[in-house]
Amino acid sequence: MSKKIALALFALVLTLALGATAALAGVGRTAADPGVSDREIVIGATTPLSGPFSSVSSVTIGASAYFKHVSANGGVNGRKITFKYLDDQYDPAKTVQLTRQLVEQEKVFAIFNTIGTEHNLAIRDYLNASKVPQVFAASGSTTLGRDAAQYPSAIGFQPSYQAEGWVYGKYLARTRPGAKVAVLFQDDDYGKDLLGGLKRGLQRSKVKVVAAEPYSATSADVQSQVAKLKASGADTFAIFAVGKFAIQAYVYANKFGWRPKLVINNIVSSASNVMAIASEGGTNKVVPASISGVFLKDPTDPKWRNDAGVKLYRQILKRYAPGANANDPYHMYGMAAAYTFVEALKKTGKTPTREALVKAVASLNITKNPFMIPGIFIKTGPNDRFPIEQMLLQRWQKNSWRSFGGLWGYRSA
Amino acid sequence: MRLGRAAAPIIAFVVLGVVVAVVPSFVSAFRAQQLAYVGIYLVALIGLNVLTGYTGQISLGHGAFMAVGGYTTAILMSDHGVKDVWTIPLAALVAGVGGFLFGIPALRLSGLYLALATFAIAVSMPAVIKRFESFTGGGSGINLFGTPELTASLTPVTILGQELVFNDWLYYLSWTVALIGYVIAWLLLRGRTGRAFRAVRDSETAAQSSGVSLPRYKTLAFGVSAAYAGAAGSLFAIATTFVNPDTFPIALSILLLVGVVVGGLGSLVGLIAGAVFIQFLPIWSQEISQSPGAPSVVSGLVLIALMFVLPMGVAGLVGRLRLLTRRGYHRADSQAD
Repeated sequence: MSKKIALALFALVLTLALGATAALAGVGRTAADPGVSDREIVIGATTPLSGPFSSVSSVTIGASAYFKHVSANGGVNGRKITFKYLDDQYDPAKTVQLTRQLVEQEKVFAIFNTIGTEHNLAIRDYLNASKVPQVFAASGSTTLGRDAAQYPSAIGFQPSYQAEGWVYGKYLARTRPGAKVAVLFQDDDYGKDLLGGLKRGLQRSKVKVVAAEPYSATSADVQSQVAKLKASGADTFAIFAVGKFAIQAYVYANKFGWRPKLVINNIVSSASNVMAIASEGGTNKVVPASISGVFLKDPTDPKWRNDAGVKLYRQILKRYAPGANANDPYHMYGMAAAYTFVEALKKTGKTPTREALVKAVASLNITKNPFMIPGIFIKTGPNDRFPIEQMLLQRWQKNSWRSFGGLWGYRSA
Repeated sequence: MRLGRAAAPIIAFVVLGVVVAVVPSFVSAFRAQQLAYVGIYLVALIGLNVLTGYTGQISLGHGAFMAVGGYTTAILMSDHGVKDVWTIPLAALVAGVGGFLFGIPALRLSGLYLALATFAIAVSMPAVIKRFESFTGGGSGINLFGTPELTASLTPVTILGQELVFNDWLYYLSWTVALIGYVIAWLLLRGRTGRAFRAVRDSETAAQSSGVSLPRYKTLAFGVSAAYAGAAGSLFAIATTFVNPDTFPIALSILLLVGVVVGGLGSLVGLIAGAVFIQFLPIWSQEISQSPGAPSVVSGLVLIALMFVLPMGVAGLVGRLRLLTRRGYHRADSQAD
């Protein structure tokens, strides 16, 4: 038998085998909207389980644990919640492909809490055209809330990055007139939104941004940027950087002998494990000057040690995500988002439809999310697509975050 | 005699063409989209095969040429209103020129040094893209979904009387390009150029002393393989409807080389197997375990196992199976297909 004919048969067998497996998938859903049956609701997400940003996937693990907890306790209107998540390695091209897989093959009811700003934006048009809700996207990108008219079924969750930057700016304007700020920022929507917000908060104040150095997520490190920022003579350092780059910012500032009077670290990178690494065993002299924003209960903050919500969080993680590090606050984020989703789902009635979910998500009024700081509520309305618009400031003291002052509220948009 | 020898491959190729044409009727629309990506990787692998399998040059940078093709398509479509199909040859041309120009300084390098130089291209490409932000959209990238230049993303398109939804359209588009690309490569390789390439691979000194111009054929090989990568990148941008620097990461360049190695150098069967491998390995590894970090470990283990079990790739396996048949035994000497 000639090799060429063998090739043709090989191709035929292969594609038929793949086709057969496709036929087996997606069988057995009987309801008005995909992903809803009498016994369960299926939702999906993509998350970076592998690659350099895999630490962020703890968000998804936290959410998944919460859904398992809810399902084990009767579910929502008798339906369990099945949460399918796939590894996109933080590559938006894979996010697009896997999201299509979730929608077209797994036939999910909604896409929930997909991780990443560019990733959520890459799938937004497709989900909008297919009328699949994109709820509580794990990104603070301002466009998610601002473009609600064009994308009625997409909504974010955390305070928008612009709003977060604005709070930092206002805080500086009120407490440190005459300060000079140097900013390290990631050169994408996330970093630029934070910087833009900071500048808006500083308008008409005596505080100036004297230097701003961008870096790209594919950079090796930020040593040269930090050197330039130190050379600007600033006395305040704002770190609008992610994970390892935030740690590097602290390490290099310390190494170069820079002692800013105040360091602002953004919410995404202020997890206590990140701060602990940046502390370099206590020898880093820049870390203790840090403040940041917070809207979730940090499991390592002594203030919440006996808090019922944090105790529940630890119980759920222990039971449904054994092996997860409960001190990693990304899990808390996932649980807070999952709690919000469940509350929205409850409002969709006996047979949830996608339309009902979108309506519920656009009219939220949750005041007692056990995983969020008391007083911070989740509210959306016809002209307000930013679920969370409040935060506390916190200061790093004696190796943990301690919140101070009153709640900061703001109008996003 | 010549026609007789060529008859079997041609018949088999036609059979393959028929198979490709009818598969979408048997599989779900989503599966068709996954097979479209297999076709896209196949285009890139055909090109990489010319460079690595036939000319013996290692490249760890073909993801960057895919990026060039992908961005050419995205920019032409979104800024200049060019319809997606017409951007494919343009993207191939731009990437091909880029590959050819890269081939010139690379003439001085060989083996691992060449691999490092190509790796440098792959590493620097995301930064270069972000540098020219006004042109490329920087980190936010370019979104193509729903634009009029992108066929069938919102409503099905009708071709030859058949109504095709987006997934099926992508499938036919990429496999048409792949099959045409394969024929072109086959014609190129069975003639004098192919012999020159193989001479360069087998021994540069012997090739030079036989009058084969090393600079000419090495740069030609780079140019041709980069052109294929550019076409693949163009199709990738069309299928994914979105480009940004992170959609062409270093992992892509490495995966392409993995595909050529797993598939086996020098055979269409192998290349298709390699393309299937690249597309489906990440999906299969997730089905084995979803703990953070686990899918990469699984992929790595699978690769290591494959290198032990099939050192010559899938093509090597097919070759060995052929040796078991009597007719195959006589043809075992000829490497060409």
